[in-house]
Amino acid sequence: MAQNSSAKESIKEMKRLKNEPLLLIAILAIIAFICLFVVYPVIKVVVFPSLTDYAKLFNNQRWFTALKNSLLMTLISTISCTALAFLFAYVNNRLDVPCKGLFRFASLLPIVSPPFIVALSYILLFGVQGIITKQLFGIHIDIYGRTGLWIVQTITFFPYAYSVINGVMQAISTNLEYAAYNMGATRWQVFRNVFWPLCRPGVAGGALVAAINVLTDFGNPMMIGGDMALLPTEAYMQISGWYDMNTASVLAVALLIPALVLFVVKNFWVGKRSYVTVTGKETSLEPYPIPKFIKWLLFGITMFFTIFILLVYGTLVYGAFTKAWGYDWSLTLKNVQYVFLKGNQIRNSIVYGLIASLGASLLSMILAYIVQKKQVGVNKLLDFFAILPGAIPGMFLGIGYVMAFNSQPLELTGTAAIMILALMFWNIPTCYNSATAGLQQIGNSVEDAALNLGANSFRSFKDVIIPLLKAPFLSSFVLSFLRSVTCLSVVIFLYSPSTTVGTISVMVLVQSGQWGEAAAFTTILIAIAFTVLRITQGILKKQGIDLKL
Amino acid sequence: MKKKFYAAIALLAAVSLAACGGTSADNGSHSSAGSKTDIAESPDSGVAADSSAKSSATGTVKKGSGKLIVYSALNEDNTIALKDQFKKDTGIDIEYISLGGGDAVARVQAEMSNPKADFLVGGSVDLYGSLADAGAFEQYDSPNNDDLDPKFNDPNHYWQGWYMGLLSIIVNEDRFKEELSPKGVSYPETWDDLLDPNYKDVFVWSNPTTAGGAYIATACQLFRLGDEKGWEYLKNLDKNVHHYYKGAGDVISPVATGEFIASIAWAHDSYKTQQQGYPLKIIIPKQTAYEIGGAAIIKGGPNTENAKIFMDWLLTKDAQELSVSTSYRYPVRSDVAAPEGLPSLDEVNLVNYDRTKAADMKEDVLKKFDEEIISKRT
Repeated sequence: MAQNSSAKESIKEMKRLKNEPLLLIAILAIIAFICLFVVYPVIKVVVFPSLTDYAKLFNNQRWFTALKNSLLMTLISTISCTALAFLFAYVNNRLDVPCKGLFRFASLLPIVSPPFIVALSYILLFGVQGIITKQLFGIHIDIYGRTGLWIVQTITFFPYAYSVINGVMQAISTNLEYAAYNMGATRWQVFRNVFWPLCRPGVAGGALVAAINVLTDFGNPMMIGGDMALLPTEAYMQISGWYDMNTASVLAVALLIPALVLFVVKNFWVGKRSYVTVTGKETSLEPYPIPKFIKWLLFGITMFFTIFILLVYGTLVYGAFTKAWGYDWSLTLKNVQYVFLKGNQIRNSIVYGLIASLGASLLSMILAYIVQKKQVGVNKLLDFFAILPGAIPGMFLGIGYVMAFNSQPLELTGTAAIMILALMFWNIPTCYNSATAGLQQIGNSVEDAALNLGANSFRSFKDVIIPLLKAPFLSSFVLSFLRSVTCLSVVIFLYSPSTTVGTISVMVLVQSGQWGEAAAFTTILIAIAFTVLRITQGILKKQGIDLKL
Repeated sequence: MKKKFYAAIALLAAVSLAACGGTSADNGSHSSAGSKTDIAESPDSGVAADSSAKSSATGTVKKGSGKLIVYSALNEDNTIALKDQFKKDTGIDIEYISLGGGDAVARVQAEMSNPKADFLVGGSVDLYGSLADAGAFEQYDSPNNDDLDPKFNDPNHYWQGWYMGLLSIIVNEDRFKEELSPKGVSYPETWDDLLDPNYKDVFVWSNPTTAGGAYIATACQLFRLGDEKGWEYLKNLDKNVHHYYKGAGDVISPVATGEFIASIAWAHDSYKTQQQGYPLKIIIPKQTAYEIGGAAIIKGGPNTENAKIFMDWLLTKDAQELSVSTSYRYPVRSDVAAPEGLPSLDEVNLVNYDRTKAADMKEDVLKKFDEEIISKRT
């Protein structure tokens, strides 16, 4: 494997590329794309502050505290996100229980919600004066601080891990488990030695996506973090509260370091084993039944979290139709009418989201294929490139784009193109993880067979890999679209008067204290995201593909 | 098979090209659609031509044509009101985007090599200083600023002060009447009233290390009481603080919805929320501090001449009145009345706020605030 190969072997591998010019061109094109649209903007941000600005980082206790807090939150929230995601995926794939559609619906909601506004919903329900905590149960709990933030981040980001884990779990054949049971293995043995190892690439990929989201989250800590200082909020507030771009850039660069560590950990944990299950033969055996007690216990926990999520979003939707958010609950349509005045922005959201997602999922699939299935000498570099955008807080990717593409020869600021490109590259890690997790399940033997029969790299890619990757490809496409429509951080510095999108309006409305209108806008964005999802699912069903996110 | 692969590459290329190529077409259709909705309320330019030029007493404004691109850190309603009236008075179309003060500065700075906007409006002039130093602004000394208090005019003419924002104490009336009035507490009138232990854990504030507005409030106490007593005040106030929010405006929504009872915020920011129907009381305490709201012309923008006209216009009596009535901000002109329901500027007892000193001591104050207050909290 590439991980073990020496530099010499890498060079040998690169030389071999001469025989596959198309592969070579593809690799060069991808490297060029990523250098231009990810690395170059990042470098722009990195070199923006002076060395004196960087020196300040070490003189300021506050930022060490922020770094420590960020790492702690990333650790605990990632663990809980991954555990919850695993539970949802397991219930969805392996249990014969009702309400699965509801669970899937609940697990998608947090992905499609723009930041800020949902935190208001949490506070309304569970805050000091919360409808549920105080009015219903009469308990006084304080959600501001570590615990509250932990809960909210878990709910907000577990769906990202879920989509990866679920994709992998769907692809795991039940045959191996039956084989193990037939040989007398206990349930625990089967879980631990058969099922779990097969899930591991998904779990690791999912955890990584969740971790990067938690690490770069600034909306939730702003509203619920209490006195806790975290790196992304400190960085954002250096711009928003102190107008200090230099310090903000320094803190952003400091965020890249833990992101790099995540990358190394992921490689160490997942990279060393082979996880092959798809060997060309499909299976249709029902999952092996598990004891009723455990089944309904898992069902109960899943239901609890589902209700929790539905309540939060139910409040949001209800708030969209009330006169003054959280205060005057009488119903009105004025908020929704306001949104229709901004139809142009909603159209922009949809168009940009579709183009960016198509680009991101295509590019990611090719990238994942090359990294997983071809030894080209630069696999590690490509892998790193693919997850790099995820390590950059969206806002700084945005600033980097403004700095990098503001003059000839690539003058893109103010255009729709810059919005689309930024969203596209921002979505690559999500799509890439999904594609990688899917690919790691496909044995080389299938492809080797194709190659032995005379197909070249691209023939085997097209006719063997793509059909097997259809499900992860489409799920990453839809996921990417949902993220784009509801993304704020990336586009916040990129929009112009004519390229404004829906989430920008949500932010402006929240800043003006017009939460009713903001809730209405959010509700409509979520509705659009789900409509697109349902349409895609409908179209695919006709072709016999079952798209489940 | 190879063909199909080429097709795949071509598709990928097409996607990226479409992303670039689609731009101009997109732009065209958007701006036409966008301007339709945006100007819906403003009458056509024929009417505009009728309104005569202002007399010199209220400030003169030239006519113009074409457009002006504005980054506005004002409330969006406020921006639209200015835009519509400006079109009526001068015939110039404003295209704007609304964004936070800091975000606006970041954008202007990032675009400096090739500016996309002509004008930056809103937010404290404190934030304009670094951009002026960086060379982002065009020097312009408006003929309409001669009669203003000198503190509103940048000596180097990079920025112009055109409104004043005041710090206020905000209170949720419903919860106050329910929980604090029975205890014999009356509405706070001074900063010292906030030290009442009855406010413990129902009072929130913003962290000055992350919020420029909260720093002005902090410095206000140091100027008001002197160094030693000022810090004592801040530490005592800290005992009542439930927690410190990151942004200066973040405290408003929790107080408006009754999650907490009182806080300190800009009067004009709180006003926006009050207008939504919340029981939010805005109190201007004695010895309060203020911010000077800025405007500046971006150097090298596409419509610099129109930007100058806009600057002149902002300082006219009519524009100042419009700003006061739509935003709760104080005017800079002495012949324009204070916002309705707020004391006039003469009645407001402003603290002797030394901007230069405030800027000089910032680093030390924030460090001390962090070490002696924030990090001592559990």
